[in-house]
Amino acid sequence: MFKKFRKKSPWILHYNAGSCNGCDIEILACLSPKYDLERFGVINTGNPKQSDIFLVTGPVTMRSRERLVELYTQMPEPKVVIAVGSCTCTGGVFRDMYNVEDGIDRYIPVDVYIPGCAASPELIIDGVVKALDILEKKTKEREKPFRLFKDFTLKDGIVSRRESALRIGDDDAKD
Amino acid sequence: MSKKTINIPLGSQHISLLEPVRFKFECENETIVGVDSDVGFVHRGVERACTTKFKYDAIGYVVARICGLCAITHSLSYTVAIEKLMDAQVNSKIQYLRTLLLELDRIHSHMLCLSHTAESAGFEAMFMRIMGDREDIMEIQELLTGNRIQFDYISIGGVNRDIDSQRAKEITLRLRELEKKIYGYIEEFENNWSLSLKYKGIGRLSLDEAYKFNAIGPLARASGLAIDVRNEIDYLPYKEIGFEMQLHTDGDIHARNSVRLAEILNSIAMCRNILEGLPDGDIFTKIKGKPTGEVLVRYEAPRGELMYYVKGNKTAMLDRVRIKTPTFASIPAFSHIFMGENYADAPAILASFDPCLSCTAK
Amino acid sequence: MQKIEIKITKVREEIASFYEPKVWHFLTLNGVALDEETLEVQWIFSRYEALDDVVIYFSKISYDTLIPSIVELIPSAIISQRELVDMFGVPVEGTEKGLYLDEDSMQKPLAGCKL
Repeated sequence: MFKKFRKKSPWILHYNAGSCNGCDIEILACLSPKYDLERFGVINTGNPKQSDIFLVTGPVTMRSRERLVELYTQMPEPKVVIAVGSCTCTGGVFRDMYNVEDGIDRYIPVDVYIPGCAASPELIIDGVVKALDILEKKTKEREKPFRLFKDFTLKDGIVSRRESALRIGDDDAKD
Repeated sequence: MSKKTINIPLGSQHISLLEPVRFKFECENETIVGVDSDVGFVHRGVERACTTKFKYDAIGYVVARICGLCAITHSLSYTVAIEKLMDAQVNSKIQYLRTLLLELDRIHSHMLCLSHTAESAGFEAMFMRIMGDREDIMEIQELLTGNRIQFDYISIGGVNRDIDSQRAKEITLRLRELEKKIYGYIEEFENNWSLSLKYKGIGRLSLDEAYKFNAIGPLARASGLAIDVRNEIDYLPYKEIGFEMQLHTDGDIHARNSVRLAEILNSIAMCRNILEGLPDGDIFTKIKGKPTGEVLVRYEAPRGELMYYVKGNKTAMLDRVRIKTPTFASIPAFSHIFMGENYADAPAILASFDPCLSCTAK
Repeated sequence: MQKIEIKITKVREEIASFYEPKVWHFLTLNGVALDEETLEVQWIFSRYEALDDVVIYFSKISYDTLIPSIVELIPSAIISQRELVDMFGVPVEGTEKGLYLDEDSMQKPLAGCKL
């Protein structure tokens, strides 16, 4: 049930990791009647445990990085991370300032990058729509069965525990 | 019998907050008896970068990125400071165009605050209505500068885009439409009974307290303290275009909303005056030399007084750029207002301050 | 803009005799690093409803001098004092650090000479 309708109604969690508010008010403008992001079934929520899409703005500052990672880990799988704005993608003008960590992909994996200073509402909507596709793909990927121990026996029948342990997390083990 | 107090945190991530700020309320039953705030989540270190990383002619665009809501005030204050240090004069057309954008920015910022206050009081329909109408202002700004939020409109010695008569006509037309909608909001905010329960008499700051805590901006003007930097400076022609200070005496959330609504109307009138009487002239003056000496420039951002202190030493790198932002100066007043209020009102009170934390922490 | 130099030990008396809450508006506390050893601390005031009437009290000190606090006179000065402590690493009476900076971020970012 949930899996089927996840794409139709993703919930968004928004976190400001030290941006200038420009992108944040554009996200707010997206939710307003003119652009109306809610027509995609998107709801802005404050609870990380119920959300599917993580919208992050701002280059990560020293004090907000722990909260960023904490919010990311609290979100249930599958989840999609969108970096909104130039400074979120690379650091932007704030790159190399002493209290800034130059973009969020140093801390959490990012699926969609939205450039622009400030990112315009059209771009944000495009990014969210793209994120919906990624979310669906991720959902499907989770449904696929995969063998934990693919051909773990060697030719002479001796099991190498070290090798099989390595294979568990491998990408090609999933197909 | 000793009373127990409960600590309730608000933030750093919260649905009613746009920005990361953490408040820790010490509550006795429903009443807040102590407030502890942590505002350093957005600290990036712009002040240091202004003196070590960027040359003086680029800083105008860097300081605009301190805050997306009052970006124009930041870059304007810095530009005027540099122009003062280099003894440059700009013509009146440039000054009028700068004032025009400053006032448009004030309108959109105040509308955002009003919608946010309505949302925090639980009036979602009003939030959507104001946000929808706010797009008019955003489109006017896009028409004038080419971008919706970070304009990069002001450069040292002038502005970056001219305005033609057709655009001026369209902007005037749209402002007139917007004015009608603002009268509708005034009626709603004044007469809606359920909003008055949430706003009237809540989050009060008296005049004496406003003096004591050096309150600024709409927060101070709602308490009757006549402080508006537009009244105290002469680098922009505010006297000519019909600036009027808006005062209220109650000091509660409702008074702050009224002050903001009145200021929007005043700003619309000023914009119309500017567009009607825009003089001819170049939009750029060439300025030679390097900044030297020290200067202090103040401006009225949407949230209150913004101060720039710039010190130069005849090279391309500056010695010191000190930025005092409006929200930074009013945090002691904020903490004082929270005392003795109900915890349930805290988000609405916070929204009515219109806090801008990325300004605060720089 | 009017600049008045005062001694660091006399700051509280001078400002107490000067400051009237209904006439003067306390803007902020500012620090300017002059060189490796000297710091200029400025207390900036402006007059209400006057055209550009700004008064700056300043005092040149070394980085280990204790700066007297003016919180009893002007309660809103506390936030500026905390910023001064963080940015320059100078001690201010009754003011703790940690407004902006964490343990592992760069300490005293604005102190001393430029890079």
